Amino acid sequence: MRRFLERHPLWSLVILVAVAVLLWLILAPWPPGMVETFGRKKVFLNALFNGITLGALYFLVASGFTLIFGLMRNINLAHGSLYLLGGYIGYEITEWTGSWLASFVIAFVAVAILGIVLQVTIFRWMEGQDLRQTLVTIGVSIVMADIMLWIWGGDFYQILPPDWLVGAVETPLISSISRRTGDPSYLKYPMVRLVIFFAAVVIGVVMWWLLNRTRIGIMIRAGVDDRDMLAASGVRIQLVFVIVFAFGAGLAGLAGVVGGTFQSLAPGEDIRFLLASLVVVIVGGMGSITGAALGALLIGLAEQFGSVYMPTYAVVGTFLIMVAVLAFRPQGLLGRK
Amino acid sequence: MAATTNTLNPDADRAAPSAAQSLPDWLNRIHPAVWLLALFLLFVPAFTNDFIQLQVFGWAFVLGMIALSLMFLAGYGGMVSLVQMTVAGCAGYMYAIFGHSAFMEVSLGWPWWATIPIALIIAVLFGTISGALAVRTEGIYTIMITLAIASAFFYFTRQNYTIFNGFSGFNAVRPPPLFGVDWKQATPFYYLSLFFATLSFLAVLYVSRSSFGLALQGVRDNARRMEALGFNVTAHRIAAYSFAALIAAVAGILLTWLNGQISPGTAGIGPVIDILIIAVVGGLRHPIGPFIGALIYVVLRTFALDALVAVGIAGERFQLLIGLGFLLIVLFSPDGVLGLWSRWRARLRKRRSEL
Amino acid sequence: MASVAERLSAAGTANALELRGVSRLFGALVALDDVTMSVRPGERRAVLGSNGAGKTTLFNAVTGDFPPSSGVIRFFGEDITWFPPHERIRRGLRRTYQISLLFGDLSVLDNVYLACRGVSRGRFSLLRPRRNDALMQSAIELVEAVHLSAVRERLVAQLSYGEQRQLEIALALAGAPRFILFDEPAAGLAPGERAELVEILSSLPRHIGYIIIEHDMDVALRVAESVSMMHNGRILKEGTPAEIESDREVQELYLGGGHG
Repeated sequence: MRRFLERHPLWSLVILVAVAVLLWLILAPWPPGMVETFGRKKVFLNALFNGITLGALYFLVASGFTLIFGLMRNINLAHGSLYLLGGYIGYEITEWTGSWLASFVIAFVAVAILGIVLQVTIFRWMEGQDLRQTLVTIGVSIVMADIMLWIWGGDFYQILPPDWLVGAVETPLISSISRRTGDPSYLKYPMVRLVIFFAAVVIGVVMWWLLNRTRIGIMIRAGVDDRDMLAASGVRIQLVFVIVFAFGAGLAGLAGVVGGTFQSLAPGEDIRFLLASLVVVIVGGMGSITGAALGALLIGLAEQFGSVYMPTYAVVGTFLIMVAVLAFRPQGLLGRK
Repeated sequence: MAATTNTLNPDADRAAPSAAQSLPDWLNRIHPAVWLLALFLLFVPAFTNDFIQLQVFGWAFVLGMIALSLMFLAGYGGMVSLVQMTVAGCAGYMYAIFGHSAFMEVSLGWPWWATIPIALIIAVLFGTISGALAVRTEGIYTIMITLAIASAFFYFTRQNYTIFNGFSGFNAVRPPPLFGVDWKQATPFYYLSLFFATLSFLAVLYVSRSSFGLALQGVRDNARRMEALGFNVTAHRIAAYSFAALIAAVAGILLTWLNGQISPGTAGIGPVIDILIIAVVGGLRHPIGPFIGALIYVVLRTFALDALVAVGIAGERFQLLIGLGFLLIVLFSPDGVLGLWSRWRARLRKRRSEL
Repeated sequence: MASVAERLSAAGTANALELRGVSRLFGALVALDDVTMSVRPGERRAVLGSNGAGKTTLFNAVTGDFPPSSGVIRFFGEDITWFPPHERIRRGLRRTYQISLLFGDLSVLDNVYLACRGVSRGRFSLLRPRRNDALMQSAIELVEAVHLSAVRERLVAQLSYGEQRQLEIALALAGAPRFILFDEPAAGLAPGERAELVEILSSLPRHIGYIIIEHDMDVALRVAESVSMMHNGRILKEGTPAEIESDREVQELYLGGGHG
């Protein structure tokens, strides 16, 4: 922190000012002039919060993607299909048992098992052949997409959250001040989104902890840095690969339940979330969990602010961010060369 | 052997000029099977109906050209670019925007001799810029980046109404009535697409053995070494993207003529992946591969539906069939159908030598 | 015109290679530490030092494979510190690699042809190379110069190790080299092949200078007129082969260190 301040005084200043402006935008009631140019504060706050929660969802999907990529150099283009499958499984479990929480566990486990099957039956036999692995995952995603279409059809599904999550909570943030009475009104925000956001933060922290503080995590990180060294150290590298693939796939399945709850499930969502993961990981830096978090936040915010303030080009905006990152920092914001 | 006798003994040549000997050297080297294939392709319209000429052969030639542009980059340059279908789509869009369509509020109505070059130039520029972005990274990253660019183009065209007319795109896009021929008719379009497919096939074959092509293959095998021999590796890679973009752009205009329309779905994520499937299934080792892949794809696409229904499976499971077939090919023959063919021939030769 | 004249006159007087305060860091590791060194045109210098002394890092900095973290590199008077590798090659700098980097699927002649093409015009030519054009002729001569004519048409992957090392040298001789960096050309060669290497190196035209990294003192001192001794990323000593051989510090550090 201190070193950063010393080495990049200008950047530190810019970041400080940006944080201050953001805090003011969030906390202070907006003067009328601002409301006229930028619209109501409530719209801004909603876009901000939606962006952050969407970022949380993207992080859940992309972190598994980036972990698998980082360790095995395998672009799993079936990752979006794992997400959608997890969502459908979560939907069925919620319908069947009525337990929203159980659906998370079962979706995670089911998709993780599928991940193990894929790793053991296919990927371990073509190690080091990046292109072939990528092509195989494309094949898997086409097959999975059609099987899911076969089973669940083309309808939209939404997973219903339990009662205690339905409704909105009042946050202590002022959204506007009534001109007549001078009473402040506070922002209301859907409970389920807040819970999902906090869950994503918890999962992120747990992942960080696993990777940095446990034996298996340290082995995985060593493998990301230098695979040969890991293999040479006598670790059963195949076992590490299987665990990572299962965990990454399971995360995608879990994210599917999250996505199915506060968005919806339908054919095509697999490609949407695959692309989102791609862009998040390119922007954040391949193989970096922190990078995935940063990239997911940026892309989530860009999409939400885009759809509020520039509705026509919301999706294009996220790709522009990607192009800009590629042009100036090809390895991604937090990626290493 | 014929060539050496020619040079060693020129008098014999003059004394008895036979047809075979007076032909240039390179013509003599062409395999008889190639002549047979050429003859067959020339006479296809004589024994097929309009549907086969347009929707099977015409479509396969056009898709084959787009897949060929991918094969050139992947096979000789080691760069798997998923942006080639998008380049084709870009050319088609530009042709519709600068030329004529049913949507004349946007289309500018310029004459064909201006529209076609402009469409090609813009599409090649687009392909080159995409390439310049993609070559900043290497190997597996190229796939991710080009896929992302392709989807950006898809979403942009779908959401932009002022230039690209959004979701519906442009209808009634026609080829110019050059030489008084209606090129949209089956037989003329068949020959038109055959001509350009052959031209691009020969061009790729020729360029692959030129100085540039040799250098590109050097870059593919060992970029650092090429740099240390004085080659500008980045420039070679970008130039390869430009060349591939030209082929894809020509194919894109042909595709727009064939369909009579262009819309975001033409270069959607599905078609982008399909081009990769075509190139890989056909084989990335030789420029004939993409055309074989395209023909298989088109035949499956056209007839598999009926075949599936005939054996009692719902026709919608077509996608599953394509996916499974693709999986089988990449799992068991990384070099595609071409790889299967050469393996089969090697086995045959082995068995013959054992006998 | 003035700038060309300036460059030519500078080239006439300047050192072939001049390094001023060149350092290279890998994270916290200092691989090159403030190296200053100059080599005259046509001079033949050996760089000695144990593994990890920074010899190959020095080459990588000069050829631009991994540019230096700080310092200035001049090539015949021209500041090339930030040039991309191919620009340095086009100015007459060459190198060979310790581990052969060759095109295994191409023939010996095609490898050399590529090297000739890399430093000539028409790199982007869409014409096919012909057997009788000037570049192909010079490629054939180069193959001859490194004693590989017998295996000219063979694929490089099928060559013996020693032949691959010889081909490595042919690639460095393509075009009009003015200065060559040889990275352990004798490593892994049989005694007979070493003699052949010494012969090839000594028969190079007098105007071509080089730096050679070599563990085999016998080879190094026979083909070099001057020696730089590196240790821990620094230049420790410079002098004639005789001076270096008799230097006590050098003997302790290097010659005594299991290499005798």
